[in-house]
Amino acid sequence: MDILSVLFILAGLFFLIVAAIGVIRLPDVFSRAHAVSLTDSLGAFLMLVGLALHEGLSKNNLKIIAVLALLYIQNPVITHATIRAALRAGLKPWRRRPS
Amino acid sequence: MKTFFFLVLLVLAILIGAYLYRVLQGPTIFDRLLGLNGISTKAIILLVLMGTVFERVDMFIDISTGYALLNLVGALAVAKYLEQKGLP
Amino acid sequence: MRPVSSEFLVLKATALFVLWVLLSGSFDWVHLVLGGVLSFTVAWINSGHSPFVPKFRLWGNILLYLPWLFLRIVEGSLHMSKLILNPDLPIDPRLIRVEPKLGHRSAVVLLGNSITLTPGTITAEVDHDVVPETLIGEADPDALLVHAIDETSARDVTSGRLEAKIAEVFKNEERSL
Repeated sequence: MDILSVLFILAGLFFLIVAAIGVIRLPDVFSRAHAVSLTDSLGAFLMLVGLALHEGLSKNNLKIIAVLALLYIQNPVITHATIRAALRAGLKPWRRRPS
Repeated sequence: MKTFFFLVLLVLAILIGAYLYRVLQGPTIFDRLLGLNGISTKAIILLVLMGTVFERVDMFIDISTGYALLNLVGALAVAKYLEQKGLP
Repeated sequence: MRPVSSEFLVLKATALFVLWVLLSGSFDWVHLVLGGVLSFTVAWINSGHSPFVPKFRLWGNILLYLPWLFLRIVEGSLHMSKLILNPDLPIDPRLIRVEPKLGHRSAVVLLGNSITLTPGTITAEVDHDVVPETLIGEADPDALLVHAIDETSARDVTSGRLEAKIAEVFKNEERSL
């Protein structure tokens, strides 16, 4: 059980690190939002499932699943609100110049 | 096992530093908002992880739930405000 | 004041009560009664917001849809990681328009949430009247505006795979827009 939990946590950590690199590297707010959504969806899922597996069968598992469901409901809403605000404020998305 | 969790905790703290760079540096205000959102998601994971390290998950998980709920309201309020105000 | 649908009230109160029990974690009768009273009161105070109650079969369909969505999320995450870790950063962001042919308001909400949850695509605008015309040309009445990171992600949305799946989930509902 511990091996499985370590594997899950390491996989989650990989996605979190990739997302952090993306947040620094990508050119504008619209593409950075894609990197943040990478953390929110898969990284948090893998990390929290790994922690729940390490916890074993208990009441805390239910609470961890509740937090996970909360994250999956609220993160699309927040990302959409931010991006819509940026678009309506008149920000232009970055385009690759035709070479 | 405890050492492993502590190391993961350390890596997460460093990753929060990367997002903090975006919050402090970000050219537009929406970059800062996005960075704050990423930090809050990582703080939720960090709280659960901290509960595992201290073996008090039952206490820390409640804090993280409250943090998630507050984060939703705060981020939506700031986004709505900026949407009506436009770029500064 | 809208008419209060009792079915919706009971559903909402039950959901709040389950959340209460989950968070308090104690089964004393004091806590249970207090939670029951509070959740019913909160549900009754804001029961005028949404009259839509999904039928039982629809809940089942949505639950069956979630694993499929999770597979899409894994696919999108791997593609997105490949893009970020590539030293050349071969991204090609674009705004695309999606015109959903779904006859239901909740189906459009589910479609928008699924698009945002998949890494690589984000729903940027849902409202019909305030689409900025300078960005995408002529405004369309029913269009969702989607920001995609590159060609592959954009094709994921425009191919209509997601939309067909959601239409299948909602196929037994009557139209309401």
